[in-house]
Amino acid sequence: MYWEKPIETMDEKTIKERQLQLINETLAKAQEAPFYRNLPIKQIKTLQEFNEVPFTRKQDLRDHFPFGFLRKNLRETVRLHSSSGTTGNPTVVFHTKADIKNWTNQVARCLYMIGVRREDVFQNTMSYGLFTGGLGLQYGAEELGALTIPIGPGNSRRQIWFMQTFGTTVVHILPSYALRLYTVFEEMNLDPKKDTKLRIFIIGSEPHSEKMRDQIERLFGVKAYNSYGLSEMCGPGVGFECPYQDGIHLWEDYYYVEVIDPETGEPLPPGEEGELVLTSLQKEAMPLLRYRTGDLTRIIPGKCRCGRNHVRIDRIKGRADDMLIINGVNLFPMQIEQIIMKIPGVGKNYLLEVKTENYMDKLYVKVEVDREIFEGTLSALTSLQNKITEELKAEIIVTPVVQLVEPGSLPVWEGKAKRVRDLREK
Amino acid sequence: MTYHLSIFMENQPGKLEKIAKILADHNINIRAISLASAGEFGVAKLLVDKGEEAFQALKEQNIAVSKRKILVILLPDIPGAMYNLLVVLSEKNINLEDCYGFVVESKKRAALVIEAEKYPQAESALRAKGYKLLSEQELSEI
Repeated sequence: MYWEKPIETMDEKTIKERQLQLINETLAKAQEAPFYRNLPIKQIKTLQEFNEVPFTRKQDLRDHFPFGFLRKNLRETVRLHSSSGTTGNPTVVFHTKADIKNWTNQVARCLYMIGVRREDVFQNTMSYGLFTGGLGLQYGAEELGALTIPIGPGNSRRQIWFMQTFGTTVVHILPSYALRLYTVFEEMNLDPKKDTKLRIFIIGSEPHSEKMRDQIERLFGVKAYNSYGLSEMCGPGVGFECPYQDGIHLWEDYYYVEVIDPETGEPLPPGEEGELVLTSLQKEAMPLLRYRTGDLTRIIPGKCRCGRNHVRIDRIKGRADDMLIINGVNLFPMQIEQIIMKIPGVGKNYLLEVKTENYMDKLYVKVEVDREIFEGTLSALTSLQNKITEELKAEIIVTPVVQLVEPGSLPVWEGKAKRVRDLREK
Repeated sequence: MTYHLSIFMENQPGKLEKIAKILADHNINIRAISLASAGEFGVAKLLVDKGEEAFQALKEQNIAVSKRKILVILLPDIPGAMYNLLVVLSEKNINLEDCYGFVVESKKRAALVIEAEKYPQAESALRAKGYKLLSEQELSEI
């Protein structure tokens, strides 16, 4: 039932004592990184005092790109992961060997918690490479001893062929893709409940509703567990649901967890919804202090029936900033704006719309044609449309549908324009 | 220069109506129109009697509009007339970028509007064969 019983079942008091010690170690380590050199607080005596440490924001990671948060010599780091984006600085996270080992352990602990064992066959449909959902789960599942199929995303028929041929029991998948995949099972006249050995789905990387989880469980005949992670901390493995599926346990020996009021920055008591703030407690290459994740959630009060005292958070309700998650890929409207505004023939106004099509997210980018540059041919317009599509695709990885619209047809807002319409089915 | 107006439009109900209203409000007569669509958007080409006035009126309403040089060729309204004309152009290897026509006087005279890639050559080839090209002034009077 437990991967590391003593740690997972530590009582609250022990957790707090351990965290105080780990925070002090982390404060000492962090000061070796250029960004944290002048920390106002060097050591704390109570967890309360930690509230005096300033927040770290995603923008800080960008502003101090690429090495501002790195405390280790590059020779000691073994890997980096990075967000998409070439216009603004991407967020880059470095790992030492010990960091990878710790991350692997967190993932293995999560997988074991939901019932994955060495007899299982684990198929990872997440993207490998710079995205953490691929390698992160890969290492954890190998550590646990399962047979792993690092197939990556796409090609649904091939996914199903592997599932059937090798008797896949556990799948890591985007919830939207799970529903899409089911339609392919149907097209092939297959019923995943009868024609596969699937029993556990790990769903994550994008917000989804309880209803969507129920649907996935019913269609595939599996238990689907919500996974939480962010590349700034390591990736998936920061927290998972336990078999009771009543909130996501975050590992408090690896993270100090706070929920704050996003406006005032004041910590909120359990039960109240706010922005999740995490401090890494065992990171070597790049410790982060009071990192504002941008994810809105609440700490679930009370003890979990599973016997783990590690704090639980509710499923993510949304974002405190304007970050969009499109089929698991994170992007900011600003990334799109910077591309669009550089292309001649495009007016100053644009609008992003996200819709659900065939269970997957689809991004629409509406741009106004610049009437000063319009020279009157259809071919110039279609090549403009193609150019915008190609340049956006290269920047944000997601392939958008670019729609050219008439000048003045998009709403104009005073001040900070509201340029995103999220029309996805919830 | 003889020209028609090229207008960017979304392919949606009411969009052409909006253009027609602006022209109607300015008492502008439409001689001919052609539409080309690329799915969700397209381009309308409008031949009107008062080109400059129409151009300014549309611009004022924030419409993406531009002037495109054309040749308006008068030809008899009989079978084979267009064929004869096109032979003249294709012999000179002149490509048409856009083309539409309208009847000027039933069974007697029609006009063909073309956007061509090589205007001087097209113009001289047609004149050499005796074709009448309408000037802006003549166009507004028919």
